[in-house]
This record gives sequence, structure tokens and C-alpha cells, in this order.
Amino acid sequence: MLQHFDPNKDYGTPASLSEKMVTLEIDGVEITVPEGTSVMRAAALHDINIPKLCASDNLEAFGSCRICAVQIEGRRGTPASCTTPVDAGMKVTTQNDKLAKLRRNIMELYISDHPLDCLTCPANGDCELQDMAGAVGLREVRYGFDGNNHLDAPKDQSNPYFTFDASKCIVCSRCVRACEEVQGTFALTIDGRGFDSKVAAGQDEDFLDSECVSCGACVQACPTATLMENSVIDMGTPEHSVTTTCAYCGVGCSFKAEMKGDQLVRMVPAKEGDANHGHSCVKGRFAFGYATHKDRIKAPMIRDSIDQPWKEVSWEEAIGFAAKRLKDIQAQYGRESIGGITSSRCTNEETYLVQKLIRAAFGNNNTDTCARVCHSPTGYGLKQTLGESAGTQTFDSVMFSDCILVIGANPTDAHPVFGSLMRRRLREGASLIVADPREIDLLSTPHLGNSTHLPLRPGTNVAMINALAHVVITEGYEDKEFIAARCEQGAYAKWREFIIEERHAPENVEEITGVKAEKVRDAARKFATAKNASIYYGLGVTEHSQGSTMVMGIANLALATGNMGREGVGVNPLRGQNNVQGSCDMGSFPHELPGYQHVSDAVARARFEKVWGVTLDDEPGLRIPNMFDAALSGEFRAMYVQGEDIAQSDPNTQHVEAALSALDCLIVQDIFLNETAKFAHVLLPGSTFLEKNGTFTNAERRINRVRKVMPPVAGKEDWEVTVELSNALGYPMNYSHPSEIMDEIAQLTPSFANVSYDMLEKHGSLQWPCNDEFPMGSPIMHTESFPIGDEGKALFAVTEFVPTTERANGRFPLLLTTGRILSQYNVGAQTRRTDNQAWHDEDILDIHPHDAEERGIKTGDWLGITSRAGQTVLRARVAERMQPGVVYTTFHHPGSGANVITTNNSDWATNCPEYKVTAVQVEKVSQPSEWQKNFQDNHERQYEFLRSAASSADAVK
Amino acid sequence: MFHTEEESIVTMINHIAQNNVSAGSDSDVADIVENHIIKFWSRRMKKILAEQLASGTEEFEPAAKLAAERLSAKVSA
Repeated sequence: MLQHFDPNKDYGTPASLSEKMVTLEIDGVEITVPEGTSVMRAAALHDINIPKLCASDNLEAFGSCRICAVQIEGRRGTPASCTTPVDAGMKVTTQNDKLAKLRRNIMELYISDHPLDCLTCPANGDCELQDMAGAVGLREVRYGFDGNNHLDAPKDQSNPYFTFDASKCIVCSRCVRACEEVQGTFALTIDGRGFDSKVAAGQDEDFLDSECVSCGACVQACPTATLMENSVIDMGTPEHSVTTTCAYCGVGCSFKAEMKGDQLVRMVPAKEGDANHGHSCVKGRFAFGYATHKDRIKAPMIRDSIDQPWKEVSWEEAIGFAAKRLKDIQAQYGRESIGGITSSRCTNEETYLVQKLIRAAFGNNNTDTCARVCHSPTGYGLKQTLGESAGTQTFDSVMFSDCILVIGANPTDAHPVFGSLMRRRLREGASLIVADPREIDLLSTPHLGNSTHLPLRPGTNVAMINALAHVVITEGYEDKEFIAARCEQGAYAKWREFIIEERHAPENVEEITGVKAEKVRDAARKFATAKNASIYYGLGVTEHSQGSTMVMGIANLALATGNMGREGVGVNPLRGQNNVQGSCDMGSFPHELPGYQHVSDAVARARFEKVWGVTLDDEPGLRIPNMFDAALSGEFRAMYVQGEDIAQSDPNTQHVEAALSALDCLIVQDIFLNETAKFAHVLLPGSTFLEKNGTFTNAERRINRVRKVMPPVAGKEDWEVTVELSNALGYPMNYSHPSEIMDEIAQLTPSFANVSYDMLEKHGSLQWPCNDEFPMGSPIMHTESFPIGDEGKALFAVTEFVPTTERANGRFPLLLTTGRILSQYNVGAQTRRTDNQAWHDEDILDIHPHDAEERGIKTGDWLGITSRAGQTVLRARVAERMQPGVVYTTFHHPGSGANVITTNNSDWATNCPEYKVTAVQVEKVSQPSEWQKNFQDNHERQYEFLRSAASSADAVK
Repeated sequence: MFHTEEESIVTMINHIAQNNVSAGSDSDVADIVENHIIKFWSRRMKKILAEQLASGTEEFEPAAKLAAERLSAKVSA
């Protein structure tokens, strides 16, 4: 009988990757499996299910519970089937009287020290111990319960999301192994020996106080109710599930949203998810409470000016009000006086519709997206060199990498599930090079390979990448064959001439980067001589005044060493938000139609014009910072912002606030009254990812389905609101489901030509390009050629290091760099409304002990941080991980005003802000900054406006 | 940091020129700058650039100024 692999079934041990097949007999059935497969897995693949407790197919076999014992002809005893690999000709018996008795005896011992409270246990109906007791036919416990036991062991309820009930623990070590093997944190251990053995977090601390990162892998692995989600304890077990895609970072994990009716009980990472393979982080698994938070905007609201209370109105009235204002403004100030911003948190379909609305209904190209302030240099730099504005690999590709270079990224915090995969590869022996001003957690990962930290000064990335490439070329490590076959020779010759100049030698760059030359040379040699070397980078690369140059420098290094077009290599931008890749793909930038087709391309434009039925502008529109400037000059008067919080996330907050205040009409569509909405005239309720259908595209170009699991709180999915606004403006849009929008995207976007909801249902997910040339999508790009030039050859780019003008001096002697933390997400609008606040309820300024001592600063002191742009106040943390002269903070809390001090400096090619380099001075202070005082006043006033709208509406009802 | 939109436009075009200085002569650099502006700058930014050029400001770097002049000439043609 043909056996199909069922990803939801637990096969007990991981799959073997061997190509050599072995045939054996289990219970008289002839079975052929890859060499290295365990007897347990071989049996399970053919639906012969051997009882198990300590085994799980996402963990290496452990063989501690002995429940899975079998008999093998010609072998003594009863070996554990999980730890016994198959042999050719092996004959296995999984069920007979002897095995049944053995299993019952083992189970009897387990149950003799386990509470018999099944009917009131939160795992009732979802408990492997209960299932196995039934499977082995346990009918009595002869030992009684009077002896020594653990039944009174205390509960650890310190973690806000799960409870550790030690009385139910069977010490199977699945949680400990999940923490090590799946997550890579090593926070759990088995403490004590024999009867005293117990699971312990950290140094026998509470879970919350330990180094546990609350990824939940232990909870998922637990076969009993020992580690259990508090939501299940409170609500009971779910009754149905819907598979969807996480709306946090760019990893794009697949989850089963497990439901009771329309109530979400828990999020369980999907084993069949191609991006996450059943793993998750604290945000994706647990931080979904914001969806039902009391702060959700539940009704449309309007007001004439931002110093007035809101008025709750019907959808029809709000849309009509917005459309009239937009039309009136255009009539008075011209076609280009309005614009909009698409959201990297919304779906591809929603993003596509917003830019279509702007181009077709507004009649201009004044569309931009938050990628402007994060990965726009990636779009520019990779397009210039490799021909496509996207990363080249799958996440799984890292498992084939022998040397991993991480630049300006902190995967364990910002892309945690991929960070865990990377850690797994490091444990297998890959070497690690980290170029970052800070000593990131990845460097402290226990692993077999060696690791190198290049602690460069902020703002010196390009000097560093040039030095690395200089060593590759001058020491003869370049891949001449690859360069000759795959790269354009003229561009290579020009770059080669540039890069061999002595000024790029590590010894001459040491003064700039602050990193010892020999360390740079060693790193370059390590990277160049690895069989497969890969580069992963983040916002520490892009958010600089030379961000685009650095992206091109990264591409140069990969090309020069021939690390392109196969597994284990490539250039991999780690995208910040869930759909940054998608929002760029969907034509959110002012100069590009969907699929990165330039607005000046008459052929491309004609195709859009034919389908959209309008004439399109052939000039690029305004970027976000241009919109602010134009607003302040009075030429730009109205803006439609869907799912972005530019007032918090964009640099130089006071400049942004002044621009937003100058608008005649700001339409904000969001799930909360965010910072931007405080300047709005129309507030349209947004829908969370749980309340809509669509697709997200992750950092590996993977298009994955988002499926509605509950109705939108205000009755409409975000795409429906855009459709209504467009229709009210007189530009008809007629879609009944996002699948129809995707069909239009496929029609107009060459790299999406074969994408449809039917294809996604069939294949789970697809990586673009997905078209006639690559009908099943493209996991690895550029395997044969590059989509650039006539010959498909990659272009080296000359990468001159132009230092930022934002420099430390006597008045501002420190360099501030900003970043993210694991428990919070971006501007924090979602995670601040969850129990993730337990880990990070305020933004802190990290400062090196030397700098702190010079200023008499201790951890916990209030610090005034002053830059050329402004001042804010944060609490201090003295941290060894900082280098002297560099301070660091996050921007997750609006009241922190982190962006009050960041400047208008930006990338030369894309205007991506230079968040990573701000010259500052810090000093001890005793009160908030003026901006913070004003912020608090405005915050209270705007929330009062919101409350008064709700109470007025209640009175009318 | 720059303070006015006009200053920022001049700073930006200079910045593009500085980052492409390896292209060769001022004329070669100006080619890249000109193409970049055509491809990525909005109509409004180009207008402010032309106004700054016409104002006679001395803040332009040579290659940036050359690019601005070529762009202005195209508009006038």
C-alpha cells in the first residue's frame, strides 16, 4: 500500500538524509527506508505505531523511557526502537506478550509517581502519558502512592505564558532537549540524580528569571501537563485549527491557530511550515493577545482637526468624509498634493491595492512604504549587482554553510527562529564571523566551530567589507572560474583595480574601523577558503548613509569568492517586518510598479494601464521624507497611511510631527490609536492577521497564505476598506476575495506569473520567481544566470567608503546606535499590549563601563541623551557588551523618544535613515525631556478624545 | 544635518556624487548622478534642484553641479 508522509504525525525520531536504502521486516511487513532511520521511525512511516514517551521526531533519539522496546530476531534483550537504527534484513517484532508486560511495568512505575487527576488536568484529552497508559493497557498501580513521590512539587508560575507543574513531570528530558536542539538556548537541565532528578531552569531559578527565552519549544515538547500554556489551563483544549502565517518578523513562521469557536486558544508552530519547521519564538507563539486588547479601534472615526475629540461614525460616513476631503484637496492643490504609505504588516494583496489606489485613483506615484526606513538599500544594492531586489537563498540553506558571516544583524533577537537554525548549524561545526559594534548573543552560542568578532565602529561597514575583499583578491583567494563564467568582466576589472589599492588593506583601515588588521585578514581567509560561505545581514548594514554601498559591497564579496547560486552560500538580507519583502515586491516604492518595473518603462506601464484602465504617471513620486518636506512647504496636504506608525518609527520625530500636523487630511487605518493616528482626521479600524485572508512574503521570498481565523472586530478586512475608499473616489475596484487580487498581481508581475491561491493550497508555499521559467518557484536564485544585462552576468560595483557626516566630537562624544530586542516588535504597538512587557517594559540606554564611570553613571540612573536633533531621557544600563564610545537603545516604546534624537542623515541612494549612527552626549538628569513632557500631555489628550467618542456613541445607542 | 529642504536637496546630490567618485572624471560621475536622479527623484525634487542651480548657490560639488546643469538643459530643451 502506498504510504504518504503526514507532516502532522510524530514519527518519533528525525528523518535520515541518507540516499542509501535499507530493507527490513517489521511485524512481518517488508519496509524500505533510508539508512540511518530508527526502527521506531521506519515502523511509524508504515503506520506501525510503537508506544513512546521520550521520543519526538524533532529531537535526537534519547532512549530513556524504554516504553518503545522491541524484539529483534537474533539480538539479545529488548532494545529501544528509537535508538536502534535499521539494518538490512532485520526482523523486528513490536507487539507480543513479553513486550506488553514490559511496557505495562514501566508505565506502572511512571504512574505511581503521577497525580491521578486526569479529569481536572489541563492536558486531559491531549496528554501523551494518558494515551500511552491506554495503549499499553495499564489497569492497576500495585505500588500505591504512600512512598516517596513528587506529587507535592510546587508549580512555577513565573512565566506569563506557561506554567511548570513539576508534580506531573516524568523526567523524559524532552523539554531539556528541545531547549538545546531546537531552540539552542540551553536554559534547561536535569538537576540531581536518580529519584531526585528534576527539570530545572538556569541555576534552579524561576523560568522568568532564568535565561529561558520563552520560545515555548519545551511546552510543545512536553508529553504531559508539566509545561502547559496558561491559555489552555484557562480555556481548555482547542477544538479546531486553521493554518496561517505569523505577522511578526520576516521569518514568516507557519502556525496552527488552535481555536474554540472564534476564540484563539493557542498558536502552535506548524511542522509542515517550510520557514520554521515547527519552531517559534515568544512573539509568534504567545504574543497574540493584542488582537483582542481593549485598545482595539472598533469603529470608524472622523474629526475636522486634530485638537478635537473623535466622532464615531458609520463606515459609509467615514469613507465618504475621507474621499470628499481627498477630492477637495486635489481640486484645490493639484493631483500631486496627496499620497499614501503601504504597510509591511499588511498582506501582499492589501499592499498591492493601496499602491494601485494611489497610482490609479489618486493619479500620482506618491506611494512609499516602511521599507524606505529599513531595507530600501537592499532593494537598490542587490538590483544593481545581482539584478533582483531579494535575498538569494532559503533559510534551510544555512544548514549547508561552512562559514557564516553575520553583518549588522542580531538573529537571535530579531529573527529568532532562523537564529535557532543558525545556532544548530554552528553546533554542527560551521565557523562564525560577526561584524557588529556589539557582542551579539550568537557569539556566545555553544558550538563546535570557531567564532570571530569584528567589533567595528558604527558607520565603518564599507571600509570593513572593502578590507575583507582586498584580502581575498590580493592574497589570491578569488574564485577565478566563477568570476569568468558568471560575472561581467568589465565591471570586475574595474572593481578589482579599485579593491587592490593599498588604502583598502586591513592595516590601513584599522584606524577607521578600530579592528585589528590581522583579525580582519583571518576573517577574510576563513570566509574565502570555506567550501560554502554565506552572508546574513540586517539593518546594521542598511540604516547608514552608505547603506546601499554596503549592500553592493556584500554582493561583491560573495561574487568574488564564488559563493552564489547553490546551497549554503549567498547574500541574505534578514528582513525586519513580516511582509517587507512583499510590500517591496508589490510596487510600494514611488519609482517602481509591482515586480520592480520602473514607472518610466513604457511597455510595463502600458500593461498596467490596460488592466487598470487609467493613464499612469511616468515620473517617480515622493518618498516618505519628501512627503514630510512637501507637507511643511504646504504643497502636500493629505495622506492615507495603512498599518504604519511613521510618527514613532521615522527619524527626527519633531520634524515628522510638524509635517503630520501640517496636513489637511490624514487618514490612518490601524488596529490601535498609534502615534501617527494622534495626528489623523480619519481613523479607520484595521484588521489583524488573524482577521483576514491574504498572503505574506518572507525574507526568503516565500509566499505563504494568511487565513482568517476570526471575524474582523470592525467588520472589514483591510483590503475591503481600500476598495471602498477607491470606489468612493470614483475609481472602481471590484474584488470579492483576495485570491482575485492575487490573480491580478500574477497577471501583471512577471515573477509572480504562476502564483495563485490554488497553487498555494497545493504546495503550501512558493518562493518567487514562480513563472513559466520556474514553475515550482525558486528556492535558490541565480543558479545559472543573473537577471541583469543582456548576458545575465553579475555586476561588481565599485564601493567607495564615504564616511558619514554624523561624527562624534567634543560636544557629542559618543555614537548612539539603535536596535531591537527579542520580546518586543518594531514600534511595539502589538507586543506592548501583551505580557511580553514582563521582559522589556521600557527602552534602556546601554553604556560601556568606562564611559559610565567617566560620567558617574550607574545602572538605573536617568540619563539625558542629547544629539544635534534633540534630547530625550532614558534609564541607564552599564553593559560590557558595548564598546567604549558607543551607546545603544531600542525604540519599542513611544515615550522613550528614541527617534527624537536620530537625525535626518540618510543613505545616498535611497534616503534610508541613518538610525545606526547618531553622535550624542549623555549626562545624569532628574526629569523627562521637554519632548517627553509634551508627548505625555498629548498622549493623554488624544486618548481622552478617543474615550469621549466611544462614550458619545454609547449614549446614542 | 541639514536644515531646509533646499539645503537637503543640494546635500543629497553632492552625496550621490561623493559615493560615485570612483567612476572617473567629473563628467563620468555626473553621468551616474544624472541617471540616478532621473530614475529615483520625484518631479518636485528635480524642480527644487533646478531652482537651487538657478539661484547660483556655491554649495554644489563640481560633478553634482554638472549633473544638475545637464538635467536643467534637458528640461529646457
